[in-house]
Amino acid sequence: MPEGSLVASTTTADLVIETKGLRKEFTGRRGTRVAVNDLDLAVPRGGVHGFLGPNGSGKTTTIRMLLGLARPTAGTMSLLGAPVPHRLTDVIDRVGAVVESPKFSPTFSARQNLQLLAGSVGVDRAAVDDALVRVGLGDRADDRFSSYSLGMKQRLAIAATLLKSPDLLILDEPTNGLDPAGIREIRELIRELGEAGVTVLLSSHILAEVQQVCTSATIIGNGRMLASGIVEDLLGGTSYRLRVGDPTAAGTALEAAGMTVRFDGLGLDVITDEPGDRISRVLADAGLYPSELTPVRADLETIFLELTADDRMGATPNDGVSR
Amino acid sequence: MMRLLKVELNRLRWRRAIVVLLLACVAVPIVLLAGYAWGTRPLGDAEIAEAKEMAARDASQGWVKREIENCEADPETYVGPGSGAEECAEMITPTYENYLYRQPMELESLRTDVGAAVVTILSGLMMLVGTTFAGHDWNTGSMSNQLLFEPRRLRVWGAKALAVLATGAVVGGLVLALFWGGASLLASSRDISGAPGLWSDVLETQARGVLAIAVAGLLGYALTMLFRSTVATLSLMFGVAIAGSLLIVGIFGAGATRWLLPTNFLAFVLGGFEYFDESACTASADGMYAGDCMRRLSTMDGGIYLAVIVVVAVLLSLWSMQRRDVP
Repeated sequence: MPEGSLVASTTTADLVIETKGLRKEFTGRRGTRVAVNDLDLAVPRGGVHGFLGPNGSGKTTTIRMLLGLARPTAGTMSLLGAPVPHRLTDVIDRVGAVVESPKFSPTFSARQNLQLLAGSVGVDRAAVDDALVRVGLGDRADDRFSSYSLGMKQRLAIAATLLKSPDLLILDEPTNGLDPAGIREIRELIRELGEAGVTVLLSSHILAEVQQVCTSATIIGNGRMLASGIVEDLLGGTSYRLRVGDPTAAGTALEAAGMTVRFDGLGLDVITDEPGDRISRVLADAGLYPSELTPVRADLETIFLELTADDRMGATPNDGVSR
Repeated sequence: MMRLLKVELNRLRWRRAIVVLLLACVAVPIVLLAGYAWGTRPLGDAEIAEAKEMAARDASQGWVKREIENCEADPETYVGPGSGAEECAEMITPTYENYLYRQPMELESLRTDVGAAVVTILSGLMMLVGTTFAGHDWNTGSMSNQLLFEPRRLRVWGAKALAVLATGAVVGGLVLALFWGGASLLASSRDISGAPGLWSDVLETQARGVLAIAVAGLLGYALTMLFRSTVATLSLMFGVAIAGSLLIVGIFGAGATRWLLPTNFLAFVLGGFEYFDESACTASADGMYAGDCMRRLSTMDGGIYLAVIVVVAVLLSLWSMQRRDVP
């Protein structure tokens, strides 16, 4: 799956989020640090889009720039087709967002916190109650925010995003701190919203979450995009683990049939989009009979670790890294 | 904008710390007026009788007689040039008034002393209101949440500033009206009337006081929006109020009093303020200072000084709000 394939397959009009050459530098006593580097991000309308990257890779900074909380050093951005931050006001009523941890006044109740936010955009009080019930906080609506568990705080943050009936939801690590039941509820809620036509950008470092919930994903590292596309495509074709009496002959036959073969000490890895019986047929035609032919499905974790290996080792990834 | 203002007024009245500060705004003037009323209460017959008794007792002491004799021998040294011996007994013999330490209520001094103290304290409390109001948004991070709903930062800044200004004006107006209403009742209960023009002076002082109180709230708010920290603003306030004055006077001498914040604040609130300035003295023939060595700072001077501070703080705060990233 080549980098930027979502952009290639989607017209700009279909994109709810688009950045081009986005760059953010932070200047401090120790010099200038580049948090986001020439990032081209394209999120198509509809579904749940994962935004993956190791800690410090620039996910939150990107989101903060999109929402007008941070000023980009260079590049252009648009949300729902409107260039931001200049025309953010035109679309902000259609965008719900949770950035990093839930941030509310700790001495106010959940209801008071939401009433203040609702009041600033002219949403009535009934919408506040609806949002609280929807995230399961109806019974605790009048409790102080400071008395909430982290999971309840996350739910309140999501309730706040629902006040505006958004077309686009940007959620930054929304399941952080939730217990397993809470994680499941929030994932179901995200899935429901995606199915209801809300486009969700889900920033997460939980790879299983992205694989379960998202239809497409972008992986970034060191502030650069490393890969982007439909999750199935990112995972790539299926590979097969093969054991056979004459690995060299088997490799030659399979490569002649257009398949990619990697040797290891014990056998072969065959990478192909062809079904398993095609491998059997090629081997049989060559007079070879495998003792093992096992499909091996790559997971997002493997892909992610491969792509971000340089990040984790503290190196700067090469330009044009792609899958 | 009205919608945002309403939201900010709700946010303000829901904050417990602010409610406590506003209650203090009401309580402090009441306590000060009560203290003044007690300190200037009319003298009772028993107190006058006791003072007369003490005066009579002291007048019969031997040292009084000796002092009178010494004075009569050299009246000009004791009483002053051109004095006669007959003035000595009157000057040295204790009278009962010497034993009555309480001053009667006096409306002009109430305006310049306790009244000025009330405005000063209310201004300080409103600065704290503005500071804690803005500081809470930054400390809790809820500012970023608010901007996700209303991204026009200057509107958000303006709505919050208006909420603080309006609260300061209303609270200042009500509390000062309460204070002077109480003072007026107290004066009439004691058959005390002010000098001609006193009440118009009081009214002007009140009006400037309300303005000072409201703007103090705005200043606290603007500085905290600039520093994004309650602690930083409070440190600056204490630094300017205490160390700043000492530093300026220490470096530039007594003449620098003109540039101190308290001097200018009082000049604005009271309609002028006199301060000691050595350079205002004139030297007499014997090399001694002559004249009262006082200079007067006008309302306008004080007002301009305060306005410059507030405008600079507000402009920097607006710039910071518009340009800096929000955590």
